Amino acid sequence: MKRIEAIKDIMKDVKDEIVIASTGMIARELYAVCDRPRNFYMMGSMGNALGIGLGLALNLKDDVIVLSGDGAALMSLGTLVLHKKLNPKNLKHYILDNNCHGTTGGQPTCSEEVDFQSLAPNTRVIKVDPEKGDAPRIPLSPEDISKRFKDAVSPDRA
Amino acid sequence: MKEHDEHDFVVGVPCSKLKDIIDKIDLYIPCTREDEAVALAVGAYFAGKKPLVFLQNSGLGNTVDIITSLLKPYGIEIDLIISVRDTPAHHAFMGKITEKLLDLLEYKNYRLIKQ
Ligand SMILES: Cc1ncc(C[n+]2csc(CCOP(=O)(O)OP(=O)(O)O)c2C)c(N)n1
Ligand SMILES: [Mg+2]
Repeated sequence: MKRIEAIKDIMKDVKDEIVIASTGMIARELYAVCDRPRNFYMMGSMGNALGIGLGLALNLKDDVIVLSGDGAALMSLGTLVLHKKLNPKNLKHYILDNNCHGTTGGQPTCSEEVDFQSLAPNTRVIKVDPEKGDAPRIPLSPEDISKRFKDAVSPDRA
Repeated sequence: MKEHDEHDFVVGVPCSKLKDIIDKIDLYIPCTREDEAVALAVGAYFAGKKPLVFLQNSGLGNTVDIITSLLKPYGIEIDLIISVRDTPAHHAFMGKITEKLLDLLEYKNYRLIKQ
């Protein structure tokens, strides 16, 4: 399955959930599949999507979905373990595992050597094709993403 | 930056110099790395909280990417409390450059805890 198909599959059931998308093509493909104010697109800070999701889920009642890449998840394996420990019930973490750094051209990762799910049983791994993808850059500034997202998730929103 | 008691979400990686402060904070969540702690703080910030991150200056380097590629471009301000060690030898260099590094990062929301 292509990564973008996996993202479509996840998003087709999404209603009010907050969605955090990891650095690179995952964020771009989420934008292409369905842009919405309750999506947060990470452009940098690779490896930190799950940490942001944890901070949200621990402080809001809303359901939170985090879409990580295998490369990003490997960069912050400790966060998987912290997620296992804190395990807020309103947080779902998916790793879209293409066994490579797809965004930067498909250089291999070592994801075949790790069982993310045994490390953190609350992680769901979806195997996807090792391709770069061709979604264009997100035409929003980071500042606009941030403002729009903060308004859309604020507990005091109208 | 705000006084400690105004913060309602506290995360970090400890330092022996911060033990007495951290031990008094019931809501402290121990993290595995300093960038992860900042990421949790960012989530809390979006959720309307006033987060605080504790770290030792030895972990400041771990936060450079999340400061430069998330906090700065997305316009997010996170308060840091940084214990500054400059002895023994393995702390000396970071001890010497801690304030310069924060200046270089144009980071203003921090308080240093020295000796
Ligand atoms: C700290 C850091 N190192 C390297 C990069 C460059 N980079 C951007 S996306 C990416 C690959 C991400 O791989 P993965 O998380 O597996 O997602 P995929 O592109 O495979 O879907 C890399 C290495 C970066 N943005 N930040
Ligand atoms: Mg990948």
